[in-house]
Amino acid sequence: MLNRTPRILSAAATAVALTTFAACGGGGQPQTKADGTPLKVYRHSMDGAPVNLDPVQSAVIYSNFVVLNTYDTLYSYKYLTRPYELKPNLAKALPDVSEDGLTYTIQLKEGSGFIDDPAFPDGKGREVVAQDFVYSIKRHFDPQNRSQGAWLWQGKIVGLDEWKENGADYGEDVEGLKALDDHTVQIKLVKPFPQLIYTLAMGFSGIVPREAVEKYGRELSVHPVGSGPFRMERFTTAKAVLVPNKNFRQEPVDLAAEGYDPELHGQFGLEAIDGKAPPFVDRLEIDFITETASRWASFTSDKEVQYSHVPVEQVDGVLASKDPITLKKEWSDRYFSYYGTEAGFVYTYFNMDRPALGTSDDPDTDAKNKALRCAMVDAFSWAERNARFYSGIGNVFPGVITPVVPEFDPETPRDSVTQDMDAARKALKDAGWTPETLPEITYGHVASVTNRQMFEQFRGFMVELGFPVDKVRGDSYATFGDFNKGIKTNKFDVGGLGWGLDYPDAENTLQLFYGPNHTPGSNNANYSNPEFDALYKQTAVMQPGPERTEIYRRMNQMVIDDCVALTGLSRTRIYLWHKNVIGLPDREILGGFWLKYVDVKTGDAE
Amino acid sequence: MNATTTTEAAPAPRKQSESLWSKAVGKFLRDRWGMASLLVVLVYLGIALGVWAGLWGTDWNTLTPTINAEASAEHWFGTNRNGQDIFERAIFSTKTAFEIGLVVAILSTILGAVMGAISGFFAGRWPDEIILWLKGVLDSIPFYLFVAAVAFALQGYAFSMHVAMVATFWTTTARLVRAEVIRLKGFEFVEAAHALGVPELRIISRHIIPNTTHILLVQATITFVSAIKSEVILSFLGLGVKNGVSWGLMISESTNEVTTGFFNNFLAASAFLFVLVMAFNMFSDALQDALDPKKTG
Amino acid sequence: MDTLQYALRKLVTGIPLVLGVTFISFVLMVYFGPDKTYDLIGKNATPEQIAEIRADLGYDQPFFVRYGDYLRELVTLDFGYSDSTGERVSRILARTIPISLALTLPGFILGNALGVLLALIAGFFRGGLIDRAIMAGAVVGMSISFLIIIIGFQVLLSSSYGLNYFPVRGWEVYSLGDYLYYVTVPTLAIVFVSLGYNTRFYRAVVVEEMNRDHVRTARAFGTPPAKLLFRNVLRNAAIPIMTRIMFSIPLVVISGSLLIESYFGIPGVGKVTYDAITTGDQPILKAVVGATAVLFVLTLIATDVMYKVIDPRVSLK
Repeated sequence: MLNRTPRILSAAATAVALTTFAACGGGGQPQTKADGTPLKVYRHSMDGAPVNLDPVQSAVIYSNFVVLNTYDTLYSYKYLTRPYELKPNLAKALPDVSEDGLTYTIQLKEGSGFIDDPAFPDGKGREVVAQDFVYSIKRHFDPQNRSQGAWLWQGKIVGLDEWKENGADYGEDVEGLKALDDHTVQIKLVKPFPQLIYTLAMGFSGIVPREAVEKYGRELSVHPVGSGPFRMERFTTAKAVLVPNKNFRQEPVDLAAEGYDPELHGQFGLEAIDGKAPPFVDRLEIDFITETASRWASFTSDKEVQYSHVPVEQVDGVLASKDPITLKKEWSDRYFSYYGTEAGFVYTYFNMDRPALGTSDDPDTDAKNKALRCAMVDAFSWAERNARFYSGIGNVFPGVITPVVPEFDPETPRDSVTQDMDAARKALKDAGWTPETLPEITYGHVASVTNRQMFEQFRGFMVELGFPVDKVRGDSYATFGDFNKGIKTNKFDVGGLGWGLDYPDAENTLQLFYGPNHTPGSNNANYSNPEFDALYKQTAVMQPGPERTEIYRRMNQMVIDDCVALTGLSRTRIYLWHKNVIGLPDREILGGFWLKYVDVKTGDAE
Repeated sequence: MNATTTTEAAPAPRKQSESLWSKAVGKFLRDRWGMASLLVVLVYLGIALGVWAGLWGTDWNTLTPTINAEASAEHWFGTNRNGQDIFERAIFSTKTAFEIGLVVAILSTILGAVMGAISGFFAGRWPDEIILWLKGVLDSIPFYLFVAAVAFALQGYAFSMHVAMVATFWTTTARLVRAEVIRLKGFEFVEAAHALGVPELRIISRHIIPNTTHILLVQATITFVSAIKSEVILSFLGLGVKNGVSWGLMISESTNEVTTGFFNNFLAASAFLFVLVMAFNMFSDALQDALDPKKTG
Repeated sequence: MDTLQYALRKLVTGIPLVLGVTFISFVLMVYFGPDKTYDLIGKNATPEQIAEIRADLGYDQPFFVRYGDYLRELVTLDFGYSDSTGERVSRILARTIPISLALTLPGFILGNALGVLLALIAGFFRGGLIDRAIMAGAVVGMSISFLIIIIGFQVLLSSSYGLNYFPVRGWEVYSLGDYLYYVTVPTLAIVFVSLGYNTRFYRAVVVEEMNRDHVRTARAFGTPPAKLLFRNVLRNAAIPIMTRIMFSIPLVVISGSLLIESYFGIPGVGKVTYDAITTGDQPILKAVVGATAVLFVLTLIATDVMYKVIDPRVSLK
């Protein structure tokens, strides 16, 4: 009975909302320009807050999202094309790569300017030049900057690591990272690195002018000075306010080249931006709202944030059907919607370096532990995990090659993600495990409600498998930082994690199981398989193609066969936005790049 | 001074306290609200003991296929998103609450009594100065900041939350005990014991602390309530109960559900918490009334 | 002159207190606090990078060097830069404290004023139905979780599920109208949650006063209730009431209200402090804890001096 109340209230409240809209919609800031035309404001929402807006420290997705709007990158992604496709941004064209794949030459566009800022002489933003790019990448190798992105280029660019060792003197040239002239960059690699171009479309490679670093020092992190489409006007823990960068290069949108498909995108009114130069809005506000209840209330109040993804607990109320995903009429009448699979996945790893479940020099123990892990994999139900925590619309797949990358193989056998409790119990018995001999295992998690519930679900499956309940212990950490420390210092046997793709290439997830990346690197499972490592090295220098894909798939199968992890699921996100907004939201690979294309209908559009 | 009193040094206050106690009990028995609230608290205690003995609440962690179910004969308060029975979880949480409440109340009362007694007995001398300083220090740090910090510092220990609460809650008890001890010191029986050369520790433990029991009793009930209420916020912040389930965890589970119209988790946990806190508060009030010598029945 | 001397002497005795607070909070929040290193490292860190960050954060320094640094920072009021955002700590506090103050002050004042009023009524009808009703209401108020109160008010007043009169989020205050627009719902929540505690506390004070002979006498002589309460009771209860209010001030000024700020999207110091605790942002923690301690000691002294001014019988020992 109780769950009807909100709907009744909502019906009554909609009427009230409409009548009070004019009266209460205000809230202080000017709503019109000097000449009286209404100001175009788009209010975006994110489910977390950026911490640091310096490109060298933009690892957090929320930081990256904002950095992409205040800083310019050499490359970006096409607005509407899926799967994601790179396109030149500040670069004139895709790079000119030498025959051996080691030398990249990139021409920059002319006439793109930094924002006006007191950091520059007379406060006028100057033109972006190739030296700025070189400087910005070098900053990652300056130990003072606590770079979070240096790993992307470590050991890959000629002379860069030596430059760091020699004291990170910006006056010193780096052999492999040069500005040939004001508009030409040359990068020389130690060995082929086909993913290089993707890294040039990440926030990490955002272009920072040296004057700003000198003026603001560490406070550059809250006072971005870039050449991106927007200039930061205000930044607090609750929101960011951005306005257009007047010096941003004029570049009309070619909607067809961006992958416009009338079939898919026709309903959203995107044609309106064709042939016009972004950015389109006069003010871009981004609200950081961690609490889903609050974000949802703000979105559905129809006078605050204009975008939200549908929180998991609201999915059942919003959707008419889950396969295919369609909205109930009351929602589709009010809002535009779009959905997509996340570029990333969630998985639960087993720590191979700890005795309870890990590998061992003793072949008997090793085999016994492997049997135990595989039984745990069989006992775990991804279907249930999906139904309870991802509204049943997540995309479950075997292994670690996620559905969004081109190397994904829908034909991979699904045994590893299908629950088979009988087989699991039998395997356990055959390997000689009994409730008495089963090891005590520790499951680490961040102390949020959802993570705790996931742990309880995991424990439920393990108890069904035959573990005594007190042998599956939860170890909760109040913050992600502490949890991460627990991972990196091997404090527990089992841990649940998510991974966001840095670029659409399966290499980015396969490296999670590459031996030399063991903790504190990204291989949290400490998986070490010489055969896997050899194949990884082999593919690292290969260009994309069927041959590389075939090896990737073999590596994927190894991870599955060795039962290193319960994996995996890519979440499906449903985006909703108000009907007066012209745009197609994305928080995955495209990320913050799309905000410059957002436009807002003003006046009597509705 | 009467030369015949050699063994028992303090007849007068003993008698006074005995009459105080019998009067208090009589007064409490006549307080209908007080008795009702005591009954409720005892029912809760019974539930907690039953959980502890394994009589009920054993299925709090069992997964069932029915998720977010409404109330039914099988699941009295429905099930949560993991298909776990909410009623079972609420029952089990009673044990958690009593565990936290009792541990914190008893330890912080003992600590407060000892510190307060020492402080009061040596009033104006260095042990008092140190204890007063320590109290001042602990009172100057915002409560949640302090508790969060202790819980962080002791992360990984199951009892970090308890330690944090004990470390802050004892100060109030100590302040009250100190004042009472200073008052008691003026009584003849203490001065007599002193004159007879009874060791100071013995005076404190045999003659002074027993006479502060009425304060300790009331303080213990107040601390109990504060402890289980703080647990709710701490669990929400991720610093609370580590293993098992508590009303605080259930309420934080429910914060997102209420906006979708699923209230079972919230209602079950809040109702259990609310009734116990309410009963305990009323019990504490009645106790205070009964033990207050200034009030006439 | 006497008073000034008294205040100065008190100020000197406040120093060990400040040292104690800073030492304990340093040990707990800084030395054993969360490790920021693993929050800052990139996705694929090497042991060398971890060591670099630890050194940069100063974690590799010995205990007393770090504590000494803290005291120096406290004296010079220069806490450096936040480890998370990189902004200057002083700038962060200067920006966020006024917001928190504006946010919590109305609720604080109303909560206390209403608390005193209800306490007077309850105390006057002590033991009667009205007393029972008010106290039951207070216990009910005390027994509902703050979280639920916030969500409840937000849903009822600010969302399309309810009346939708007020904003869910934000703090765009440029005029009195804006201020009322944004502050109303948080204020209601604050009053609601604090009223129970305040009423109970003040009722105890009022009851204490009502039992005094002069009040009983006045009552027996048929003094009208309003006059009795305001002249005889409230005036004498002023000291405990003021003490409670004074001692709440440092918390109102510095700690803001985390839950309110994060649910209503208000960029105040409460959220900043909480984030600092959970991520181990030590420069901010050091500043907030230090400021609270100093403010507390100042309040302590101010209270003492105030007593002395109000009641000259308090000895100047």
